Amino acid sequence: MDFAQGNSNQIAVVTDSTADIPAHLVRKHRIHVVPNIIIWGDRNLEDGKEITRQEFYEQLPSMKPLPTTATAAAGVYEELYAELFARGAQQVISTHASSKLSGIYNAASLAANEFDGRVIVIDSEQITLGLGFQVLAAAEAIDQGTSLDHVEDIITNIRKRIRVVAMLDTLEYIRRSGRVSWAQAKIGALLRIKPFLEVSNSEVLSLGETRTFRKGVIRLADVLARLGPLEKLAVLHTNAEGEALSFAERYAPKNIPAPSIVNVTTVIGTHVGPHGLGFTAVIQ
Amino acid sequence: MSSDTQEQSSLDATNIPDLKIDGYALQKLVEASLTWLRTNQQLVNSLNVFPVPDGDTGTNMVLTMQSALDETIDKPHHNFGKTAQAIAHGALMGARGNSGVILSQLWRGFTRGVEDIEFLDAQSLVNGFGLARDTAYKGVVRPVEGTILTVAKDLAAAAEEMIQTIDDPIELFEYVVAAADKSVERTPELLQVLKEAGVVDAGGKGLFFILEGMLRFAKGQQLETAITTVQPMAAMNLENALEAIEPGQDIEWVVDFQPDEELDLEGFYYDLEMMGTSIQLGEGEGIYRLHIHVPIKNQDEPLKYTRSLGTVTKAVMENLVAQMEEIQAGDDGSKLTLSPVEPGQIAVVAVSPGAGITRVFASLGVAALVEGGQTMNPSTQDILNAFENLPTDNIIILPNNKNIILAAESAAEVTVKNVAVVPSRTIPEGFAAMLRLIPQGNFESVVQEMNTALSEVETGEITIATRSVEIDGVQVEEGQTIGLLNGKLVTANSKLEDACLDLLKKAHVNHFELITLFYGADINRNDVDRIADNIRRVYPEQEVEVQNGDQPHYQFIIAIE
Repeated sequence: MDFAQGNSNQIAVVTDSTADIPAHLVRKHRIHVVPNIIIWGDRNLEDGKEITRQEFYEQLPSMKPLPTTATAAAGVYEELYAELFARGAQQVISTHASSKLSGIYNAASLAANEFDGRVIVIDSEQITLGLGFQVLAAAEAIDQGTSLDHVEDIITNIRKRIRVVAMLDTLEYIRRSGRVSWAQAKIGALLRIKPFLEVSNSEVLSLGETRTFRKGVIRLADVLARLGPLEKLAVLHTNAEGEALSFAERYAPKNIPAPSIVNVTTVIGTHVGPHGLGFTAVIQ
Repeated sequence: MSSDTQEQSSLDATNIPDLKIDGYALQKLVEASLTWLRTNQQLVNSLNVFPVPDGDTGTNMVLTMQSALDETIDKPHHNFGKTAQAIAHGALMGARGNSGVILSQLWRGFTRGVEDIEFLDAQSLVNGFGLARDTAYKGVVRPVEGTILTVAKDLAAAAEEMIQTIDDPIELFEYVVAAADKSVERTPELLQVLKEAGVVDAGGKGLFFILEGMLRFAKGQQLETAITTVQPMAAMNLENALEAIEPGQDIEWVVDFQPDEELDLEGFYYDLEMMGTSIQLGEGEGIYRLHIHVPIKNQDEPLKYTRSLGTVTKAVMENLVAQMEEIQAGDDGSKLTLSPVEPGQIAVVAVSPGAGITRVFASLGVAALVEGGQTMNPSTQDILNAFENLPTDNIIILPNNKNIILAAESAAEVTVKNVAVVPSRTIPEGFAAMLRLIPQGNFESVVQEMNTALSEVETGEITIATRSVEIDGVQVEEGQTIGLLNGKLVTANSKLEDACLDLLKKAHVNHFELITLFYGADINRNDVDRIADNIRRVYPEQEVEVQNGDQPHYQFIIAIE
């Protein structure tokens, strides 16, 4: 079954594995998640398969050569879309990681060109649950019978209210990723620097740094508190589950659903490194 | 892999006059292009804008071409157009990375130009290149010039021009490959980041190798040995390699050697890659120069290995970690880069007493520095000049010394610019404040954040008493080492090391996480290392980081956080 109950318009929901949507929600809303790829030496690993996130992050510091990442091929998207139509979908909404940070949107758009406008591809301008919350909002609306035009408005609306903020354990991985220009400049003097960053409007912005994890947590909580009343929250980490749980317990507002604790996808983790902590919040 | 029918109708370099390029020949050409690309894969990977070993363009293009070739092996076809179609489909399915996606679009477009033709002819080739270009440009959200797209455009233009005078597809192709080569060399002129990094575009270079591989096959040239992984010795950029040291690759070797036999480059690179990273090979007048970074456990390997190949004429080994520390410590002032500021952004001016401290401030994003400290307080005018020279009106000044706060405040009053003094009394306080800088942020809230940060670090200072005195209940003799904690005298000792340890004890350093020692101009590195090791022994739970501050008068400035 490809459509949830109430999805009378038969709109299939597609995203990619950078969305970090928890598995039970993927199942509940019948979301189709295309895995991205980790290239590690001669091995091509599909995100989420073959190696667990925990194992990956444990091994990451000693991996040689360092892994790199790749988007699934346009052909993979083309096949998925064709299959969804063959199975009765009338339309497909395919929402993906920021086009400035990855080639996923481009690959999906190329594939969509082959389907005469029946596949709507959306640039979320976000990553991890910044993307995931947009996809979930779309899926929930579709399950309630909302038309595709209206779903696009819903995505645009929630996008404006999403904040993604994180503290990384080290500058090293994001510098190597080559995707963030300011990370280059900050290397070279102090050895222990934990950068703060925010993903906003497709860009990774610097929010300064901290030198110790403990102070970083306090600052992260401070940034969260200043956002005002929230609608949703997810705590993100790269193999720092204990810290993520205690952050959620201490700082998550009590008047919203308990935040998901998400060990971030290895495709993003490759570029940020282990022992990072952050959150995705949706402001009311 | 090849069947009899393939042998007969395929491209045969010894038989060019009767040559007809059909689907099987195209398959062979693609196989050749893949082989040649793979031979040059590391070179393409190394064409990286950033001096770090993360380039994967070559790998992505190889994987894409491999998938394209696999598709033709599954469905061999005599018809050129049908084989091209299979290639395009395989490339699309296996496309990896941006370069792979664009490559697959090039194939897709090319296929449209050669649809259903049995044998390749010059006009179809021109059509194919033209449609390849068009399709690739359409497939990219924001086309950028100076990339693989430009190369595709230039080679299509060359094909369109040459068709006027040439009707043999292979002869035409030769001009196309030459045009692609020229186009790749021109990419840095079109794309500033390439120019700054001193490289050509990796995707464009990969496309060139794909085409050149086909041409080399057609001409019967070998495809297994890279000819371009050896560069002229003079062109080796070893300084750039130094900046790219990876953790664990602590030793740098530069070895000149004369091999006894002709060097088997593929085997040579294979062996070296087992040893280390940042491999470069140069050649000049029969001598090869090898550059490589290796971990300490392999530190003798490069020399042993090159000796096994021939005569070593010169070998230099250096410890990169030590070198990096020297560079970071500011021994080479010419390398200092301050953060550029856009009008409207927040710029920070910091007062710094030493080259090493200055370097740390620069790395944290300071836009201008004023020299000064305990015994050389800068004037209001010095500070004012720094304000006036910045292209923005929103400025924060960090005096980093309690004796400079006033001068900073009066400079702030005099200037017409919007200046806030964040009254840092010590260097560590100044660093703590810098960590809160968000150049594009809101001025008032950044100032507020920086003020908050001042109290988040404890400052220790170690210096020599210039006279005998009793202050803060501590009796001091002239010449003793004294320690100040947040400006208050807490210890006086005849030994430098004891003063440090006593200061840290009084700071309750066991409740903190990180101790950063900025050592001064008047202390030698061996003493610093010995003291740092002792601190590590006494406080095994705390991290200890050592930096060359190069400040006068203070043996140590210590940040405790």
